[in-house]
Amino acid sequence: MEPLKIADKEFDSRLFVGTGKFASNTLMAQAIEASGTQMVTVALRRVDIENENDNMLAAIDRQKYQLLPNTSGARDAVEAVRLSRLARAASGIAWVKLEVTPDPYYLLPDGQETLKAAEILVKDGFIVLPYINADPILAKKLQDVGCATVMPLASPIGSNQGIKTKAFIEIIIEQATVPVVVDAGLGAPSHAAEAMEMGADAVLVNTAIAAANNPVEIAKAFKIATEAGRIAYETGIAPKSETASASSPLTGFLRNE
Amino acid sequence: MSAILKINGTKKTFDEGLPPTLSELLNNLEIDAAMVVAEIDGEIIERKSFAQTELKEGMAIELIRFVGGG
Repeated sequence: MEPLKIADKEFDSRLFVGTGKFASNTLMAQAIEASGTQMVTVALRRVDIENENDNMLAAIDRQKYQLLPNTSGARDAVEAVRLSRLARAASGIAWVKLEVTPDPYYLLPDGQETLKAAEILVKDGFIVLPYINADPILAKKLQDVGCATVMPLASPIGSNQGIKTKAFIEIIIEQATVPVVVDAGLGAPSHAAEAMEMGADAVLVNTAIAAANNPVEIAKAFKIATEAGRIAYETGIAPKSETASASSPLTGFLRNE
Repeated sequence: MSAILKINGTKKTFDEGLPPTLSELLNNLEIDAAMVVAEIDGEIIERKSFAQTELKEGMAIELIRFVGGG
């Protein structure tokens, strides 16, 4: 498999893993390890000053896994920029998964505010990976303002519905000059493989791993599926046909005609 | 002399007076400075400056940390 290049960094794994919703930090660390990922997303929230705070970062080996802080919770560009700058101060790295989701029910991204925030953040030196609706025009605009990737959604975040936006993601893949990361809604390893076969450069999975019966085993399945899909894309899939095409020879049958 | 800070949106009263610096506030709250980032009145405070950051009555302080997320 070719390595994935984002900004000036190369990744051997094309599976990014989200760290939300795990039952424990230990389970999260084991699932991350099993997934083979090299990039994990994290969120920023207020410290609870009345209770003890769990330090999830301690469970992530920063030498092996690059952090990708997200701006989840941001409802507009101003909030997303503020969260990005806080994340940079907290992590020491200027990579950000930009997400602006004003609607709490479907968590769909606001393209206009995302573009506004992306312009500010790119100028401020950030490596910006924006989470977007599968909108090819918006993807192009984000690419033009200097985003390092585009991350179109397959279906609503955490819904595990698979790739409902296929036709539009295909257009984005065809047109993009930056890596396309299919994010949100990939619920099964087959969905990840499908995205990779379509030519996506990477996939991001969180809920489908964290909420599975056995996150470590399913993380392994996602790793294999992502690799299988990528290899198939790189080597090419045999063409489809409307009619049958026998796999066995059509001569030498054991009958008299 | 009691003093007030607004921490993460909630007013907190310090009956013995304010902790003099941000580092001492974190000690006082038993929060590990290594895992937080702070913002005072909208300005981000780098971790290396926590010990030099003096606190004043009425400041709005945000203490933020990483949590699991997608």
